[in-house]
Amino acid sequence: MTEPLYRANVLVCGGTGCEASGSAGTYHKLLEEVQRQGLANEVQVIHTGCRGFCAMGPIVIIYPDGIFYCRVQDSDVPLLVEETLVKGRVVPRLTYKEPSSHQAVPFYSEIPFYKKQMRIILRNCGMIDPENIEEYIARDGYQALTKVLTTMSPQDVYEEIKNSKLRGRGGAGFLTGLKWEFTARAPGDIKYVVCNADEGDPGAFMDRSVIEGDPHSLIEGMIICAYAIGAREGYIYCRAEYPLAIKRLHIAIAQAEEYGLLGDHILGTDFCFHLHVKEGAGAFVCGEETALLASIEGRRGEPRPRPPFPAVKGLWGRPTNLNNVKSYASVPQIILHGADWFANIGSPRSPGTAIFALTGKVNNTGLVEVPMGITLGEIIFDIGGGIPKGKAFKAVQTGGPLGGCIPAEHLNVQVDFDSLKEVGAVMGSGGMIVVDEDTCMVEFARFFLTFAAAESCGKCVPCRMGGKRLLEVLTRITTGQGRLEDLKLIREIAAGMETGSLCALGQLTPGPINAALRYFEEEFIRHIVDKRCPAGVCKELVRARCTNACPADVDVPSYVALVAQGRYAEGLEIHRRTNPFPLICGRVCPAFCQTRCRRGDIDEPIAIRAVKRFMADQELAHPWTPPLLDSPKTDRVAVVGAGPAGLTAALRLAQQGYRVTVFEKLPVAGGMMAVGIPEYRLPRDILNVEIDNIRRAGVEIRCNQALGRDFTLDSLFAEGYRAVVLAIGAHQSGRLRIAGEDQAGVVHGVDFLRAVALGQPPDLTGRRVGVVGGGNVAIDAARTAWRLGASQVHILYRRRREDMPAYKEEIQAAEEEGILFHFLTNPTRVLGDGQVTGVECLKHTLGEFDRSGRRRPVPLAGSEFVIELDMLIPAIGQTPDLTGLQDQVAVRRDNTFQVNDALATSRPGVFAAGDAVTGPATVVEAVAQGNAVARAVDHYLRTGQVEKIVTLPGYEVVNQPFNLDDYAEARPPRMPELPVAERRNFQEVELGLDEQAAQEECKRCLRCDLEWLEEMGLAFEPVPQRELAEIGFS
Amino acid sequence: MPKLKTIEDLQQIREQARRDLQVRTETGTRIIVGMGTCGIAAGARETMHAILEELKRRGMEAHVTTVGCIGMCSREPLVDIEQAGRPRVTYCNVHPDMVPRLIEEHLVHGRVVQEWALGRVPTEGIGQG
Repeated sequence: MTEPLYRANVLVCGGTGCEASGSAGTYHKLLEEVQRQGLANEVQVIHTGCRGFCAMGPIVIIYPDGIFYCRVQDSDVPLLVEETLVKGRVVPRLTYKEPSSHQAVPFYSEIPFYKKQMRIILRNCGMIDPENIEEYIARDGYQALTKVLTTMSPQDVYEEIKNSKLRGRGGAGFLTGLKWEFTARAPGDIKYVVCNADEGDPGAFMDRSVIEGDPHSLIEGMIICAYAIGAREGYIYCRAEYPLAIKRLHIAIAQAEEYGLLGDHILGTDFCFHLHVKEGAGAFVCGEETALLASIEGRRGEPRPRPPFPAVKGLWGRPTNLNNVKSYASVPQIILHGADWFANIGSPRSPGTAIFALTGKVNNTGLVEVPMGITLGEIIFDIGGGIPKGKAFKAVQTGGPLGGCIPAEHLNVQVDFDSLKEVGAVMGSGGMIVVDEDTCMVEFARFFLTFAAAESCGKCVPCRMGGKRLLEVLTRITTGQGRLEDLKLIREIAAGMETGSLCALGQLTPGPINAALRYFEEEFIRHIVDKRCPAGVCKELVRARCTNACPADVDVPSYVALVAQGRYAEGLEIHRRTNPFPLICGRVCPAFCQTRCRRGDIDEPIAIRAVKRFMADQELAHPWTPPLLDSPKTDRVAVVGAGPAGLTAALRLAQQGYRVTVFEKLPVAGGMMAVGIPEYRLPRDILNVEIDNIRRAGVEIRCNQALGRDFTLDSLFAEGYRAVVLAIGAHQSGRLRIAGEDQAGVVHGVDFLRAVALGQPPDLTGRRVGVVGGGNVAIDAARTAWRLGASQVHILYRRRREDMPAYKEEIQAAEEEGILFHFLTNPTRVLGDGQVTGVECLKHTLGEFDRSGRRRPVPLAGSEFVIELDMLIPAIGQTPDLTGLQDQVAVRRDNTFQVNDALATSRPGVFAAGDAVTGPATVVEAVAQGNAVARAVDHYLRTGQVEKIVTLPGYEVVNQPFNLDDYAEARPPRMPELPVAERRNFQEVELGLDEQAAQEECKRCLRCDLEWLEEMGLAFEPVPQRELAEIGFS
Repeated sequence: MPKLKTIEDLQQIREQARRDLQVRTETGTRIIVGMGTCGIAAGARETMHAILEELKRRGMEAHVTTVGCIGMCSREPLVDIEQAGRPRVTYCNVHPDMVPRLIEEHLVHGRVVQEWALGRVPTEGIGQG
């Protein structure tokens, strides 16, 4: 505490550090000098303890001016006293110069997490000690109360709150001022102010943080409310699961009473208000106002019908105002700064700020306060920092267990009461749970339903029975027992609960499921029809996340376990049951299995693709003859296209005994595997080994046979083929649609790669090449151009590096090979006079979110620049080439075939598979399509029916002969690669693992498949692939 | 008897409290530890203990205080160091074993430990908009 006698205090640090630099001498010299100058009655010299900063000692601080002098020696004292204490001037030489280290630390307002926030309700949280009322008072605490008591009538107060248009922050969004007015006007002289601090939503901690960090803001708000409505008593209903909040509330209330701010004659006026804390007892339903009031009264927490509303008849039948913590905490600020100030923040119909508890799969989890009207995408990506580990955003659940999920397509929605309702979500109290691609939306909905159903008080039938039945249906779906009628049943029960329940708990319980069905119905259908959980979560349906993620259902755990033991041939045989291309996929597959590998949750995923390649390479000396699986038949099937889909379909049909002929337009078989993927990724001789395997199954492959030119659909049927599979891929490149793109030197990516593959590579020595696009075709074209001698290779992509669809390793390899990337860049014009001389580009910045959840690039005016080029390679996407098929078969807008779920086209007997159906995808997805279309064609030929044959994948059970704990610290091997200096050719870049590395890597596998057998109580016996119809699933 | 009998009393307390805070910030060293539930869950109590121990060991005087949650729960325990009017610097993910270096470098040498620093807090508070 300062002593008014002295006009200045001079504090000399007497800590050990400063002593060592001579502070004792400084202290005594100061005493002397102050005495000599006659200032002994005005200036006090104090010897203090160490406050740190010893490196700059002796430290002298002069107060009240707050002057900080360092390295003050006794010889400096006379000058110091003369200049500062007598003349009031600072001595620059002695002052502290802030080192750059402090300046380098950004202000909070510059940190992305805080930049867009507006902390009004949370203004004191983290700034004051919540257990010290004086710190609250120092920051204008209870000033609003003072203003109210001295200058405002009760009516003035609720009018002001009405004018601010504050809407209840508990989630219902009712106009707070209006509620206060109703309660004020209700007849009766006993009234109550109640605060709902039950905060039952899982994942919500906004109210808790306000109470823990700034309890007085709540108290002050309630006192003001009491004044406005004429109440003398109030209750804070705080859940018992918040012991720290309750403790701080009690301390705050006690201190407020001690300081005369609560109790009788507040601040000496006639106004009296007593506040009590009532602890909740673990029932979510007590967050509902009438149940809450019942609980305070000592009864079981059950809602009752309204009207009458609590404002008229509440606690003990008296008029009661019930508001959420955040609503009350906003009141002092509104009173201090005025209704207009508040009404101008946020959006017109939802003014002010909202507090969100941002949790789940997001980088910056925590508590954020933002003006209403900010978009969801800004909260999750700008403030929240996006999704960890580069995973894809899937949805965000708002409003807790009674809210709804919002998918990527609505990231631009403004967060306020009304806008959220339009997209089927609810603002609620402010919980925001972010989920990513590894979350199953069916299981997510079931999780919230479990909670809501358990919390039903049981008073009304729609909620008590509805919740239970709904949960039964969802549980069946997640365990593979779902039926298509379930979707209708869910909607019926939901409607019943929404209209018939007594309170919001029952009415909103179906909310999460309705939202999940609205946006993720496909996922529900996959669970019901295919018995699959795409996200890899629902235990009964997911033997292991790796095999679950594989589009072709390859039995990954089994072959990895076999490779660990050196049993390569057995592993290969298992692999080939579903995917006949292990040599190829071991080199080019994006390995969805790896992205979901559970080992990856701990350290690094198993390098499955590298293991697969090793396994397949071991057996190169033993060509595979695919086994015949059924009796030979006379039916003939024609497959158009010898890519992965066509070859796989042909193989499977041949294995079923059919006579299959594949018609291929190009001189070589393989489709994109041959003419799309460059040889430094997939050598031609390796590819041919696997194509020869298909021939060995009895499949006839005829090259140089083009649909339309050499045969037609009609001619095939006339010749006696009983079914046709169109697997023509997507080989037509998309145009740039800019001026100048039709001149010499503009060669589309797929055409360029095809020419190189077919032995006609252009000589690009010394040429400057530009590639437009961000997918694998673009990277393949760029790396190929480099190998053909280009002096410069540029890639122009309209978004950022992290948005590129190409494989991360490919992007990295391109960077290593010296390819130049231009991000947020789009070409606007191809320059040249018949021959390309360059391309004019425009820089972009990122704007709103589009439906894919990525920010849309927006052109930056005036940012044009030119890149000089000799060749431009557009690679922005491909579509199927429909030559020879004019109008014979229905197609979609992007020229892919319109097929039903049995992959049958609009023409009887004609099926389709691969990129021609899905659009450009991957080899493994084409293989999966090939497997599926073969099953459908087989069924059609046997029965004449066109039906989807759903199968449950079979599995092997491989023993575990070693101790997994020995591999707890093991890490994946590095893939040996050709050094960059040796890569200007088409030799394979990846060189493959050696045996020891491969086997050791396999031993890191956690064997989720064995764990699954145990958990499911299944026998450790192999199970073959079965059709669902066989198992009796409807 | 309540401490404040009139509104004028409140204003006096307010002035006094503000001055006290000013003295502390301008002449002393303040160490502020986040002690909301998020902080406690992350180990803030242990960190605070380590701070008190270290200060005692070095014979240093500093005003150690606790505050509620400042919102960045993912980076708790958060520890702010404010020295004699220098900007208040927030350190994040402060575990007990980091405390000796923080005290040594920031308090004794006046150098911010960059790799642990999160941001500077302006005296009026953060992000008022």
